[in-house]
Amino acid sequence: MRTFEDDPALEDLLSPEQKERLDRLLSDLCTEPVRLSAQRSEGSVPVEFNLETIGWLTGGSREERQAAANLIGFIMMFVAKYRLAANLHHDTTEASYAELQRQNEALKASEARYRELSEQLQDKVDEQVRVIQKSQQELYESARLRSVGQLAAGVAHEINNPIGFISSNLRVARDYLEDLREMVPASPTNQELLDDFEDLLTESMDGTTRVAGIVSDLKTFSSIDQADYSICNINELLQSAVHLVQTEYHHNLKITERLDELPPVTGHPSRLSQTFFNLLDNAAQALRDSDRDPANGRILVQSRIDGARIQVIIQDNGCGIAEADQARIFDAFFTTRPVGSGTGLGLTVARDTVRAHQGNLEIESRPGTGTRVTLTLPMHGGQEP
Amino acid sequence: MPDFDADDNKLTLKVVFYGPALSGKTTNLMQLHSLLNPQRKGELMVLETRDDRTLFFDMLPIGLRGDSGLDLRLKLYTVPGQVQHDSTRKAVLSRADGVVFVADSQLSQQDNNATAFGNLEENLEKVGLDIDTLPMVVQFNKRDIPGVADEQDLQTRWASTPWAPLIMASALQGKGVIDTFKLLLDRLYTIINGEYHLERQHGINRQTFIEGLSASHGERYAHL
Repeated sequence: MRTFEDDPALEDLLSPEQKERLDRLLSDLCTEPVRLSAQRSEGSVPVEFNLETIGWLTGGSREERQAAANLIGFIMMFVAKYRLAANLHHDTTEASYAELQRQNEALKASEARYRELSEQLQDKVDEQVRVIQKSQQELYESARLRSVGQLAAGVAHEINNPIGFISSNLRVARDYLEDLREMVPASPTNQELLDDFEDLLTESMDGTTRVAGIVSDLKTFSSIDQADYSICNINELLQSAVHLVQTEYHHNLKITERLDELPPVTGHPSRLSQTFFNLLDNAAQALRDSDRDPANGRILVQSRIDGARIQVIIQDNGCGIAEADQARIFDAFFTTRPVGSGTGLGLTVARDTVRAHQGNLEIESRPGTGTRVTLTLPMHGGQEP
Repeated sequence: MPDFDADDNKLTLKVVFYGPALSGKTTNLMQLHSLLNPQRKGELMVLETRDDRTLFFDMLPIGLRGDSGLDLRLKLYTVPGQVQHDSTRKAVLSRADGVVFVADSQLSQQDNNATAFGNLEENLEKVGLDIDTLPMVVQFNKRDIPGVADEQDLQTRWASTPWAPLIMASALQGKGVIDTFKLLLDRLYTIINGEYHLERQHGINRQTFIEGLSASHGERYAHL
């Protein structure tokens, strides 16, 4: 049977064994053996079931043949009932299974769609978090820079005038000292007193020169006088950063400057100064944290032209960066320093600044040997003034 | 769809009795089995029941021979009405040539009628049949029960559908069952004759078709 409702043929209803057995059972009832066949033959009578002739019966007497045919028709009804129910059940089970599979496919597809959506959602959230972190950091940095700038401007203003008249007064005082030499009687005691006095004045004048230099560096660092983007001299910025670091470390650092002649570039001087300072400060701390004798610690500051780009290299032979930390050094708020002494923003800001100038920042480090930072900037600044 | 076997010159048509649970589909078929006396009639096969409820289907084959020797068969099926047997209903409904929708006249059963009719519409669509063109008769059964829905109301409500007029029946008492069947044969003939030229090629006209298949005991039709 092709579908449950097709009219069954004899072989659909009875297996050959079953047909044999039916023949035997019927023959037992008859005087002569009877035989059921799908084909018509001489003297056979039709076996009908549900308007359909399903086979032909031969053998037996004429009455027996007809009676047996009727009996088979009756038996076939029950066989067919079972076959019909079984086939229908099979058909519906298959249809239900196919339907289930289709629904399963649809569910899988929809699940995949939702998973994709949720992944996109995660990406979007991550992206937003990055944007927020970045602007937070920029806000923090600009506030810091502004406050440093204001402080520097205040200090410069307040110190410049007094240091001016102190140094001019000291010069006048030294002139007066010459006059005094002529006026006081020339005794060894007086001579010693006046010489010492002159030494004091000279030392004080050196001191005021140094104070004036620090004020000037501070002015450069905070760029109080400069617009956001302007033409800047990288070497000057490097030198003032070196001076500031030296001041911070009481002039104990051995910093070698090897600065080539550079063309002026367009940039943000105070942010570049901050970057150089951060890198130098890192180098100085690496020397301090090194196991080496502090007397052997060296920092090399180099600037040179490399094709159409300017390279600044700041190299130290300090403690280096642990390999486990190297992947995270640019992460915001990542620091290995004790709580309160580092914000974890130094290198992050440095990299952001360099990128804002269309440049590149590379760090190579070997623990215990030292660190080399290579900063590359395009000759023609990344942004128009 | 009709199953025509050119080798045997045999045309098999399928009519399905559909409707809500307990509306009397099997009763309709049993009554047809005992009341009808068509040219050829097979056994009523009540496949399987549980507590007198149809589990699979019932089937009654009847037949008619045309002048050309055409062996015309009509297989009448019922479906299980209970909601959970939907896949069986769908399997039985597939390739149907005509449908008798047996509704329950009791007022409490009107929601079930509507649900079953919706289910019929849905399943017809699933098996690729169009309810608007399929020959169909709607029977409101159980008219013998007191307090059933008013006939006039029902007729008015269905007047604008392709299935008007409705047939009122009391299958238990054998009333309206043959009327329902005759109306279905009438609607079925229009479609089948159009496709198989029953009248022109096989000498089966509308009257022969209807009378030959729905003759009841005692009124065996004249010209056979």
